Amino acid sequence: MKIKFTLNGKETGGDWPAEKRLLDVIREDLGLTGAKEGCGEGECGACSVLMDGKIVNSCLVPLGQTEGARIVTPEGLKESPRGRALLDAFAQAGAVQCGFCTPGMMMAAEALLSRNPKPDEQTVREAISGNLCRCTGYDKIVLAILLAAEKGGGLW
Amino acid sequence: MKISQSITRFDAREKGTGETRYVADLEVDGLNYGRFYRSPYPRGIIREVKVPPLPEGYHMVDHRDVPGENCIAMINKDWPAFAVDEVRYIGQIILLLVGPDREVLDSLINRIEMALEEVPALYTMEEAEAGRSAEGVKVPPILGDTNLYADYHLSIGDTASAFARAARVVEQTCQTGFQEHIYMETQGLLGWWEEGQVAITGSMQCPYYVKHAAQVALGCAEEAVRITQAPTGGGFGGKEDYPEIMGAPLAVAVNKLKIPIRMVFDRVEDISFTSKRHPAKISFRTALDETGEILAMEVDTQLNGGAYESYSCIVLQRAIFHALGVYCIPHATVRGRAWATNTVPSGAFRGFGAPQALYAIETHMNELARLKGEIPGDFKKRCLIKTGDPTITRGFMKDKIIMPAMYDRIDQISGYRRKAEAYKNHPTLGIGISFFNHGCGFTGDGEQRLIKARAKLRRDEKGRVEILTANVEMGQGLLTTFRKIVAEVLEIPPETIIHANPDTNRVPNSGPTAASRSVMIVGYLLQEAAKELKARWAEPGAIEAESHYTMPPGLTWNQETMEGDCYPSYGWGINVVEVEVDPETCEVETRGIWAVYDVGVAIDNAIMEGQIEGGMIQGLGYGSLEKMEVKDGKFHQNTMADYTIPTSLDFPTTVSETMDNPFEYGPSGAKGAGELVFDGAAPAFSGAVENALGRAMPRIPLTPEIILEVLENEN
Amino acid sequence: MVETYRPESLLEALEIRSRGALPFGGGTDLMVARRGYTGSLPRFDGTLLFTDRVAELRRVTVAEDVMEIGAAVTMTELLDHPETPALLREALALIAAPGIRNRATLGGNIGNASPAGDSLVPLYLYDTQVELRSLTGTRTLPLKELISGVRRLTLGKDELITRILLPLTDFSFTRYRKVGTRRANALSKLSFAGALTLGDDGTIKDLRIALGAVAPTVVRQEDTEQTFLGIPLKTVNPDEAARKWADAVTPIDDQRSTAAYRKQVALNLIAGFIRKAQEEL
Repeated sequence: MKIKFTLNGKETGGDWPAEKRLLDVIREDLGLTGAKEGCGEGECGACSVLMDGKIVNSCLVPLGQTEGARIVTPEGLKESPRGRALLDAFAQAGAVQCGFCTPGMMMAAEALLSRNPKPDEQTVREAISGNLCRCTGYDKIVLAILLAAEKGGGLW
Repeated sequence: MKISQSITRFDAREKGTGETRYVADLEVDGLNYGRFYRSPYPRGIIREVKVPPLPEGYHMVDHRDVPGENCIAMINKDWPAFAVDEVRYIGQIILLLVGPDREVLDSLINRIEMALEEVPALYTMEEAEAGRSAEGVKVPPILGDTNLYADYHLSIGDTASAFARAARVVEQTCQTGFQEHIYMETQGLLGWWEEGQVAITGSMQCPYYVKHAAQVALGCAEEAVRITQAPTGGGFGGKEDYPEIMGAPLAVAVNKLKIPIRMVFDRVEDISFTSKRHPAKISFRTALDETGEILAMEVDTQLNGGAYESYSCIVLQRAIFHALGVYCIPHATVRGRAWATNTVPSGAFRGFGAPQALYAIETHMNELARLKGEIPGDFKKRCLIKTGDPTITRGFMKDKIIMPAMYDRIDQISGYRRKAEAYKNHPTLGIGISFFNHGCGFTGDGEQRLIKARAKLRRDEKGRVEILTANVEMGQGLLTTFRKIVAEVLEIPPETIIHANPDTNRVPNSGPTAASRSVMIVGYLLQEAAKELKARWAEPGAIEAESHYTMPPGLTWNQETMEGDCYPSYGWGINVVEVEVDPETCEVETRGIWAVYDVGVAIDNAIMEGQIEGGMIQGLGYGSLEKMEVKDGKFHQNTMADYTIPTSLDFPTTVSETMDNPFEYGPSGAKGAGELVFDGAAPAFSGAVENALGRAMPRIPLTPEIILEVLENEN
Repeated sequence: MVETYRPESLLEALEIRSRGALPFGGGTDLMVARRGYTGSLPRFDGTLLFTDRVAELRRVTVAEDVMEIGAAVTMTELLDHPETPALLREALALIAAPGIRNRATLGGNIGNASPAGDSLVPLYLYDTQVELRSLTGTRTLPLKELISGVRRLTLGKDELITRILLPLTDFSFTRYRKVGTRRANALSKLSFAGALTLGDDGTIKDLRIALGAVAPTVVRQEDTEQTFLGIPLKTVNPDEAARKWADAVTPIDDQRSTAAYRKQVALNLIAGFIRKAQEEL
C-alpha cells in the first residue's frame, strides 16, 4: 500500500505491505539503523521511536497505521538541540556501555522531558521501565536524564 | 590514583546517536541470509533429513560440505559443526539454508522434515547419574560409561581426623539455575569471500577463537581466514563460545558458495538455543567444634554441562577452585563433577563457575553463622583467609588482602552490623552480606601454556600511536581503558591514540576477552610495550613494540595434579543487600544495595562504577528473577516476556566504592573486575531474605514461589 | 496478501467487519501473536480492520455516573482522563510499559480475552457492560458474559466491540494489587481488585472481589460476596472469609508461576484486603 508520513521532519513515503513493521521500514527500506531490534515482541524498547510525540515500540506498529503520522527516530533526535543536550548528558554521566539500548533510552528521555521537564528519580525510572539494559544497571542512565533536565535550561 | 579520574568514553557519542553500526546495521550488496535447521528431537540417530526442492539462488550446507574437520574446535572437538547421525539436544544444528529472501527461507526451513530413531533423553544431573530417564527407563550413557565430562578431586589437610573430633556435622545442599545472557544485541555474524579469504565480521568476544574454529572446519591455512569484530551489543560470556558455533558452519557456507551471508538470530532462537550458565548443585558437609567454629569442610560440586563438552571442564575447575570462597579452611576436600545431559550445551557466562561456588559457600557460611548465633559478617570476617594461608590447591595465598578494612567501610556506609542484629527478630526486614573474590585471568598456567598473549603498539612516521590487540570492546570500556593505560606511560593525550576494533589480519593474538583478563593481563602487556616505545621514541619512521606474556615470578602450577597457585591474583569484594519481604505475596523489595571492591586500581572510575552497577543488577537478576526451566528438553521461558531480567524499577541505586590495593603485575596496579562485580549479588540478596525470614532457603533464583513453598512446608 | 482498512466512520468499520475482518486496535497483542522470524512480515491472512481512526471509537464521555469508553481509546489516554476511577487507573498504570500503553486499547485488551488481561479485573469489579454493534443492530451485555473462556468471546463474526460502559460506582475502600513477574513491564502472575462500601452502622453494604490469572476468566463470585451483606465489618474473620473463594480460584502451573503460589496468594490478598479495610474504616 502507498503510505505517507512525516519522518524526522520530512515528508516520506513509499509502497510497502500494510502489515510490515515500522521498524523494518525505517531500518531496511529507509536505511535508518538507529532504532534496533532487541526482541521483536515489544519488551525491550531498543526499537523505540516517537509517534505523534509519544514513545512507541516500532516493532509492533504496522505500516498501515502510520499514514499521516509524525515520526521521529534516533536520527531525528540527534540533530536537535534537545538531542545534543541528551547526548552530552549521557556521555558525561557514563551512561553508555555497549550502546545497543542507548538510542531507545534517549527516545524515552525525550518523551519524558517533553511532558515533564523536571522529573524526580522515580519518575525517570518509570519513564524508562520499557527500555531494558543489560550492561549499566540503569543507575547512570537515570543520572544522565536528571542531568539533562537540570542542564537543559529552557529546552524542555 | 590519577589514572582513575573519569574521562568521557570515546565511543559514547557515536553509540548515543545510533550511528554505531552493529552487524545487523551493515549495508551489503547482494546480501544473502542464513538460517539453521535444528533438531526438533532431544536424542537419537538421524535416519533421514528431507529438504524441499530449493528454488534458484537457495542453497543447503551440511556436514558433507565441510572440507576440514566437522567440529566446533574449542577445547575438545566433540561437538559437530553439523550433525552427521547422532543428535544430542533439541536445537542441535543439522544444516544451514542460504538464500536472498528471508520469507522464502523461513518457509523452506518450516518444511524440512527429519526422521530420527529416538532414544530416551536424560535432562537432569540426577537422570544422568542414574542413567535413567524421567520415566524411569534405563538408558545408555550420552558420554563414556558415566556421562561425566570430568570428575576432579582436591584436598588439603586431614579431613578424616577433623571429622572424627567434630562436635557437630552440618549438611546443606545449595542449588543454582540456568541463566541466559540477554545481551541486548542478539548473536549475529556476516561472512563473505574476499581475495582468497573467508572473512567474517560480527558480534563476538574472541576473534581468534572464531578464526581457529573456522580454520579447523575449513582445513585451511592461517591466511585463508580473516575475522574482524564488529561493535558488539553486550557479551557477558555468551559471545565467547557461540560465535564459533555459528561461525564454523558460516565459514563452510561462505567457502562453498563464495557469496555474502548474514545470520542474525531472532531473540526466541537466541534464548532457546544458545549456551547458558551451568546450573549447579553444591553440597556441604562441615565439621564444627563445640563453639561452632569450622574444623573441616567437604564440598561436592556438580554442574549440568549439557550435550557437548564446550567449556564445562574449565568452568568446573573455576567452581572448585572457588569452592571455599574467601576463607581459610585448612582441612577440606572438594569434588567436582560436570554431567552430560541432553540439553543445550552450557557455556561461558560472567563468573564462569565462580558465581555458583560463591553463592553456595556464602549461603552455607550464613547457616553456620546462624547456628553459632553470630551475625554472618562477623563470622565470615573471622574466617577470612590471610596472606600466606594455604589454599585448596595446596598453594599459598599471595595477595595482599584488605578485606577487614573493606568490611569496616561497608558497615559504615550501609549500617550492616546494626541492622543485622535488629532484623534478626523483625518479621519482614532483612539484610545480607557476601564476601567473595575472583581469580583474575586464566586458571593456573593457562596464560603461559595455552594463550601466550601478545600485544602490540605501533607508532607511525607521523607520531600517531595505535593499539593492536585481539581484545574487544563489548561495553566494558576497553576502547577507553586501553588508551588510558598507554597514554599514562607515553604521556600523550589518550584521544590521540588509535584503537580500532580488532581485525585478525592486523592484530596479534592477545587472547580472548574473557576471564577478567583484558585490563590486567593485556593492559599490562600494553603498558610494557608502551615503555619500550617510549624508550625508542626518537627512532625515525614507523616503529613497533610487541610484548609477550610471561608468568609473574613466584607462582607455580601443576595442571595435572591441580596444585599450586591457581590464579596470579584476585579481585575482592563485599556486597550488602537490604530487603523487605511482603508477607501476603512473598515478593521481595530490595531497599538498599552497597558494594565495596578491591580491584587493585580502577583505570577509570566512571567505567568501573558502570561495571559495578551493571554486574550488581545482573547478579540480582540471577539471584531473584531469572527463572529458566527445562521442560521436555526445551527452555520453558524463551521470550523476553517470560525470561524476566531486571527493569529500571526492580532495584534501587547501588552505592559503591573501590579501595586501592595495587597489584604489581597489573597496569598502574589494576586487577581484573568484570566478573568480580557479578559474583556477590545473588548470595547477598538470598542472605537478606534468609535473615528476614529467619531460615535457610538455599536455592536461586529465590522467587516468591520458592519462598512461599519453604514457609508453607513448615506449617 | 493482507488487505487492510483504516476507516474513519463507524458505519464503514461495521461494513468491513461484516465481511469478517479482524479488528486491530493498537496491535500490541496481535503483532506479537502473529510475529514471524526477525525481519519478516507478521503472519496475518484475510483482512485487517484498523480501528484507530474511527471517531466513535475514540471518545470518552461521562454521563450519569457511567464512563463510556470507546474501544479504540488507549491505556495512556484513559490514564490521562481525570474521571478514570482509581481502581482502574492503578491497573492500567501497571500494564506493560509506556510504549505499550501509548498504543494498547481497552477494546483490544477485552478482545484478546487473556486470563491475565490486567484491565479486565477492575472492569469486572465495576460490573462493566460492553456495547457490541453490527450492521444489523446493537446489543449491550455484561463483560463477564462477553468473555466465555481463554481467548474466547461470545462475539458474533460480524460484531465489533464499540464502547465499554463503566459505572462510576463509589466505594468506601478499594485496593488493587498486581503480582507480576517483575516490578515493571510484566505479565501478571495474578492480580486482585477489591472494593467495599460500609454503611453508617458499620455493616457491609457492598463487597466486591475480582481476581485475575487464577482461572480461565476473571473470578467474580457475586453469591459469595452477597453472604457478607449486612454483616458488621469488624466481626469478619479475614482468613475464614478468604477461604470462601477457594473453590473459585483454579490456577495452573505455567512458565510464569505455579498453581500453588497463585492460589495461596489470591487467598492472602483477599484476607489482607479485609484486614486493611477493618483497619482503615
